[in-house]
Amino acid sequence: MSHLSRRNFIKLTGVTAAAVAAAAGTQSLLDHAGQPWAGMPAAAASALEEKRVRTTCALCPSGCGLEVRVVNGRAVKVEGSAIHPVNQGVCCLRGQASLEMLYSPERIQRPRVRTGSKTDPSATWREVSWDEALALVAGKLAELAADGQMHTVAFLHGDTRGSLRSVINRFMSAYGSPNTIFLESAGEHAVRMAMFLSQGINGYPVYDVNNANYVMAFGGNYLESSRHVIGALAALAFMRRGRPRRGKFVAVHPRLSLTGVKADEWVPIRPGTYGALALGMANVIINSGLYDADFVRDFTFGFEDFTDAVGASHMGFKRLVLEKYTLERVEFITGVPTADIARLAGEFATNRPAIAVMPVEPDGLPLYDALAVHALNALVGSIDVAGGVLVQRFPELTPWPLVAVPTVPSLTQPRLDAISDNPFEPLAPELLAERLAADTPYPVNVLFLLNTNPVYEHPANGKMAEALLKVPFVVSFASVPDETSAHADLILPASTFLEVWGDDFVEGTGYAGVSLRQPVVEPVHDTRNPGDVLLALAAALGDPVAQALPFPDYKTLFEHRLSAIDTDWEKFRENGVWSEMVYFHAEPGSRAWPQVVGRDRLQAPKDGRFDFFARELYAMVAGQGDPAKADLACLPHFQVPAEAGAATEYPYVLVTQGLITHPRPWPGIVPTLQESYGLQANMKWRAWVEMNPRAAKALGVQSGDRVWVESPQGRVQAVVRLYEGLWPNAVYMPPGMGHRTTIRWGRGSQAPAVIGANVNQLLASKGVTRVKVYKV
Amino acid sequence: MPRWGMVIDLDKCFACQSCTAACRMENNTPPAGPDQTGRDRAILWNEVLAFVHGEYPKVEVLLVPRPCQQCDKPPCTYVCPVKATYKNEDGIVVVDYQRCIGCRMCAVACPYQVRYFNWYAPEWPAGMREHLNPDPEVAPRPKGVIEKCTFCIQRLRHAKEKAAAEGRPFNAADYQPACVQTCTGHARYFGDLDDPNSLVYQLSRSPRAFRLLEEMGTEPKVYYLKQG
Repeated sequence: MSHLSRRNFIKLTGVTAAAVAAAAGTQSLLDHAGQPWAGMPAAAASALEEKRVRTTCALCPSGCGLEVRVVNGRAVKVEGSAIHPVNQGVCCLRGQASLEMLYSPERIQRPRVRTGSKTDPSATWREVSWDEALALVAGKLAELAADGQMHTVAFLHGDTRGSLRSVINRFMSAYGSPNTIFLESAGEHAVRMAMFLSQGINGYPVYDVNNANYVMAFGGNYLESSRHVIGALAALAFMRRGRPRRGKFVAVHPRLSLTGVKADEWVPIRPGTYGALALGMANVIINSGLYDADFVRDFTFGFEDFTDAVGASHMGFKRLVLEKYTLERVEFITGVPTADIARLAGEFATNRPAIAVMPVEPDGLPLYDALAVHALNALVGSIDVAGGVLVQRFPELTPWPLVAVPTVPSLTQPRLDAISDNPFEPLAPELLAERLAADTPYPVNVLFLLNTNPVYEHPANGKMAEALLKVPFVVSFASVPDETSAHADLILPASTFLEVWGDDFVEGTGYAGVSLRQPVVEPVHDTRNPGDVLLALAAALGDPVAQALPFPDYKTLFEHRLSAIDTDWEKFRENGVWSEMVYFHAEPGSRAWPQVVGRDRLQAPKDGRFDFFARELYAMVAGQGDPAKADLACLPHFQVPAEAGAATEYPYVLVTQGLITHPRPWPGIVPTLQESYGLQANMKWRAWVEMNPRAAKALGVQSGDRVWVESPQGRVQAVVRLYEGLWPNAVYMPPGMGHRTTIRWGRGSQAPAVIGANVNQLLASKGVTRVKVYKV
Repeated sequence: MPRWGMVIDLDKCFACQSCTAACRMENNTPPAGPDQTGRDRAILWNEVLAFVHGEYPKVEVLLVPRPCQQCDKPPCTYVCPVKATYKNEDGIVVVDYQRCIGCRMCAVACPYQVRYFNWYAPEWPAGMREHLNPDPEVAPRPKGVIEKCTFCIQRLRHAKEKAAAEGRPFNAADYQPACVQTCTGHARYFGDLDDPNSLVYQLSRSPRAFRLLEEMGTEPKVYYLKQG
């Protein structure tokens, strides 16, 4: 043994010597003799110049602070910034793997213009300089402006960070187009609208899980793909082990996701029926008098039946719930046993503060599901209390420069997405595609695409791609070639968040804050920040667009906007974040109360009352048709969701829910995420479909079989995985897969290849999607 | 000399796999790609494993993050014919990649299956080597050797060097592996198992504490705390 210790000692000194040698500029002693680890950055052998740079992640709406280890100009490790209030030193796997995006071989390296026809699949690209690319866009825009055709320029964008969304809006309205279209996810749209219609706040809710005693997450995948997932994880850990009283966390979903596994209780439920369960719980809470009677009486509207100003009587929430949502009926709808509904309701109402997390799901009637769930929060008085639902505050910023934008007729043209009469309905992307393809209401000449990949997310049976083919000039800001940029005429490649300046609002904390984004490394390729590109275009277009955005670059712009923040700027820059750090709860009825209930209402009175009966909706439907129906339309209720496909032909309901391994804005392959993809299914780099073993047995398929999953929208191939944690009549497929790659990922692998399968090819845009499964 | 150990609280672990990714980025394990992953050749020193039990709707899924258990009595070191794998003076089980002959005896002997074999020299697609950690301890391993979790020994060295540069004694709190630092649920604790004042000492004696395959007598230095 002593012999071994001596050897160990010698070995260890070897390691230390290697480190010293590396620092001193000689070749590392750890190099394997005759096996130089070729391609390792030369840094290892020369003096290391090391620094740590604080920045802000942009891969999901959490916006965590990061600290990146940079050695000799290369980013080598991403860590969480310990002083950032959102993540407090931790970093999820997406943030860690962002270096694989930064250095991805798939990235588009400089602007490119399509040569040849869009419909020709063999068409190629010609790389151009930024000057040429910008001149091309500015030329088109100026040409259209000279013809008064500004409204035929449309801007489609997904989630954007910081001030960028305002820049886009400002750019487009100053140019003279009403067509700035935010392709929000249907689930998030529903939650935002539910907040607006009930609480009068146009924004996403913030759940104060840290201080809650009972949290019930309906649908979605709260611990994997919610907006503020990193805060949620830390808060749940704190709720369990960081304080004297342990809270309870309940997850409601047809599939046992990581959220369900790690919850204290999983409630399996029929897909698309969250609203019914919430209303059944409300029934129990009201019936047994467990609701917060004072809060409901003084600070809500429409709980009891009421008579309006013109003398018409209306149904209240209480009567609707007591009459329609009896336990037996709710069990019939949701499949959750009556005893469980009653118990959950009792637990929820007696373990305050309690939070009902609204479902971020496209299934069912998402708006009414979210309204029903949020009604539970009001019933137990969890509005803006510690451990309840908070309202995210944002800092006051320096106002934009005032410009006299001439009222041009193009601005008042009908919007491309003015499809539904109901402004609270989410945008139906496939209808947008149809309208684009059919030149309704007018042909679109230029289409910008930023942070969105509609051909992948809303393929609509190929209609989205057709729509893009129809538009003569499509400008994409894609970073990697994706399904949508494949139909672009010009690609202005966006830099990754690790290469640019930027700003980001702190979200998910309740209190206001701003994070800064700064270049961690020099741009790896000849790419630019889309904010800078828009400002350059504004300058090229001249007034009034240039007047509206008079900034040389995006950094100057956000520094100007943030200059209103009263703080030590030197510290702010160094820390990368400024925040108020304290959330001030509004006492019901106090002067601050209108800031959390009713603030953003348009038609409904700002009387500080939470609407069980959505007066905002009533203002729209009043006097149209049957009054009883109009009442129902304003109350949280359950309707049988539309089903795409008949149950006889398509026996299974398709459910999908975001995974933590899904890099939302990045359509390229991130190998480390692929290698962590399907945890419960143990599936990596491949498409899989989860089935309950009973369903699989009935079909005669086994784990590992290759099957077609077919819906009325389309079909994809996947490998069967049996999973007991799934509603027996449902099948599950993961989102975020099915991208095409031209890179050979790992030894023995194919290139080009499609990694996984795109579940969006199956999903109907509304209601519940049914599928059938059969062997290949 | 601290006896380095880790405690993982399964009540606070949400199986987000940030530890898995942090480990990869810190230790330069190569992406395996679809084909090699399909052959179970992916190298993830710190994988999260899922075990599903029961029948719908009473389903139990156990999710266990599994780094090297850093046994005090490591069977891998006993079987190595060339003494390439050994417990170093910090009590951490490491591999000398120059000595390793690739016989994989240790991989068989390890009851936790946390030893990974390099079936070929690691490969990264063009450009992706740029983000590799330049620390010499984690230089990409050659073909034909075994590799494994080292509790990020390079970070231990960095911590010691930093303390020395700042002219203060090295403290156990100066050092933590990448997985501990990044844990989103703050579920991982790291420190000196021999120091009664350390959190890991106290947690490892919690009534919730257990170790994997304790009956094998390997005396792991990674403890788990039961969920719930």
